[in-house]
Amino acid sequence: MKIMLKTDKIKFSYAREKVLRGIDLEIEAGSFIGIIGPNASGKSTLLKNMSQTLKPESGAVYLDHQLLNDYSSLELAKKMAVVPQDTEVNFNFNVYDIIMMGRHPYQKRWSGLSQEDKKIVKEVMEVTDTLKLRGKLINELSGGERQRVIIARALAQKPDILLLDEPTSSLDINYQGEIYDLLNYLNQEFNLTIITVSHDLNLTAQYCEELLLLKEGRIYAAGPAEEVLTENNIKAVYNAEVLIKTNPISKKPFVTLVPEVNRIKKSKQKDFKIHIIAGGGTAKNWLYKLENLGYQLSIGVLNIGDADWQAAKELGIKMVEAPPFIDISETEIQKNRELIEKADLIILSDLPFGHGNLANLEVLFDYPEKRKILFSNFDIKKRDYIKGKAEKIWNKLLEEDQNIYLLKEKDNLISKIKKLEN
Amino acid sequence: MVEATGDLIIMGENKKNIFVYLTAVSFSVLLIFLALFIGSSQIGPADISSYIMGSNAVSASTAIIIGEIRLPRILLAFMVGAGLAVAGSVFQAIIRNPMVDPYIIGISAGAGTGVMLALFLGIEITIFNLSSLPAFAFMGAVATVFTVYQLARVGNKLPVLTFLLAGVAVSFILNSLMSFLMVLRTENLQQLVYWLMGSLAGAGWGDIRMILPYFLTALAVIIFYLKDLNILLLGEESAAHLGLNVERTKIILLGAASLMTAAVVSVSGSIGFIGLVVPHIARLIIGPDHRRLIPLAALFGASFLLIADTAARTIMAPIELPVGILTALAGGPYFIYLLRNKSKNIW
Repeated sequence: MKIMLKTDKIKFSYAREKVLRGIDLEIEAGSFIGIIGPNASGKSTLLKNMSQTLKPESGAVYLDHQLLNDYSSLELAKKMAVVPQDTEVNFNFNVYDIIMMGRHPYQKRWSGLSQEDKKIVKEVMEVTDTLKLRGKLINELSGGERQRVIIARALAQKPDILLLDEPTSSLDINYQGEIYDLLNYLNQEFNLTIITVSHDLNLTAQYCEELLLLKEGRIYAAGPAEEVLTENNIKAVYNAEVLIKTNPISKKPFVTLVPEVNRIKKSKQKDFKIHIIAGGGTAKNWLYKLENLGYQLSIGVLNIGDADWQAAKELGIKMVEAPPFIDISETEIQKNRELIEKADLIILSDLPFGHGNLANLEVLFDYPEKRKILFSNFDIKKRDYIKGKAEKIWNKLLEEDQNIYLLKEKDNLISKIKKLEN
Repeated sequence: MVEATGDLIIMGENKKNIFVYLTAVSFSVLLIFLALFIGSSQIGPADISSYIMGSNAVSASTAIIIGEIRLPRILLAFMVGAGLAVAGSVFQAIIRNPMVDPYIIGISAGAGTGVMLALFLGIEITIFNLSSLPAFAFMGAVATVFTVYQLARVGNKLPVLTFLLAGVAVSFILNSLMSFLMVLRTENLQQLVYWLMGSLAGAGWGDIRMILPYFLTALAVIIFYLKDLNILLLGEESAAHLGLNVERTKIILLGAASLMTAAVVSVSGSIGFIGLVVPHIARLIIGPDHRRLIPLAALFGASFLLIADTAARTIMAPIELPVGILTALAGGPYFIYLLRNKSKNIW
């Protein structure tokens, strides 16, 4: 494969602050790279060093096997186009004139527009869907339209490589997708090498072939999105708790931020421990409320991927988890017991029972002295998928256990807990 | 199909532009003729046409009034007005701020200090048959530009903000220096006051000869870089990515515009508002493309100053008003209007 752009140990500082601390990169022709990283990680600075807006303190940048410094500014403009972060044009040029300015590196000072100029500008306007805007003034356009015009101008330079700095940061979500769709098309159709800087992890993960994760001026991770966007990497680089899911359509990783409830919780945490037995999304609606009230929650055993599992994970609740579609194993039951033993109260939601999770119900026999709230709003017969087996256990439990409180109305859960708490 | 509609838009634009230029040129020519008639001595159309034809039927005094008094003054008003408008357009484009005029970097303060110094020291050197005042004004202006340049320069770069701030600082220093000299020498300040208010009174061919080389040099440089000026409007970073050598272009263009301002200021004093307002009016009519804008701004600036100067020498005749008063009177309200309607369409 042909190497389009290469950086060799580049370092850069603003005043005394080191921004890039040695970046080594080889970018193949035709690739679509997303540079991500937290604020001040050096991602925009790296892009500017690649495009000669800034000159590295040490190290070198090679474009198409030639030192970037050896290009004249006009030669460089024919090979590399850049869409900077601030693309505001103060002056009211019309769209056609703005795009035609992309032909500047090819025009002589006094020559008019050549047939080739006109042909190329028409082509890039078709590709970027800006033909219908041609007579409009640049300041009349929406943010998304303007960005397409600026990209069209960059394409009119007929570059081999296109660099973009936060191309969608000021756009609404519908335009964000539109711009990345366009970039993707340019990459696939014309084999244009594209490097984009973004702080939108999900957008870059969806579209870019490879991601480059920067931390404090160094490359922390590089590779396909699945390898770069891991919970550990994000924790290490952004110091944020996230949950990585998979986008059901594109099968690419999708990052969700876990709310920082832990911090709030600590300030008003109560000394009252509740263990929850749930599943199938029967607890997700009130988990957050209990968490917010400051109860120390634990939950289990939940199947991985279950709706309650996701909710608990996002809230950071102590949890015993089990792989889906098989019976809960002895180890998991044991772990669940450890949590139950510490609890002051057990809540059993109106979950359905099958072979897999029957153990979750049976475990309650071992704790007759612990207080329990059992949801009874939904008849056990209808929740029993194992031919009355669960119903039998349920009835036996109600007979033997003196510490059970049946809850007919879900809405009364919190007032009930408060009564038991005192 | 698309090609056809596209060309139609451009052809429509072209027709409009040609019309605008034809109107502006004929208006300017008409103004020059009108201005030749108007003045304290009555000179009829017949005398003027025979003077232009070069016939000897005109009396010697009439020939002197037309050829040595009115004509050079009209031409000078034309040059000064055009020069200020062109320099203003260039400054506004490079600094990318519509509230900028050519005096912003202290050129008029520098020229004024030069004049004050000449009066204070009582120097009466004559260069090219000139009183020493314009020569000193020119030296003061050029020295100021040079100083501001050197102060603002960081390596081989000229950051626009530093350039502006250095200009403002230098202009404050020079203004206080000028005031100090005025306090020391209180008699015979009328000349300076007239100069400060801006006036073309007493203009002659000598003034034109003095500033013409600088004026033409600066104009030629600006015309040479018209296309680059458009690219610069996209912002320095974008311009660099389009292959423009931004720093060099900026330094050359700012230098040319400063030189042009220094040249016209030395003969006219600080005539305000033309460099600020005229580029706006021209831009509103013909758009931001400098290849079309600069010539139109020059014509507008020239016509505007010619009208103002003709009014200045006639409305209170035989007393002459400093023309700067009139341009400021007309320009001030427009400036306020711009401030009140500060929108994106200001360009």
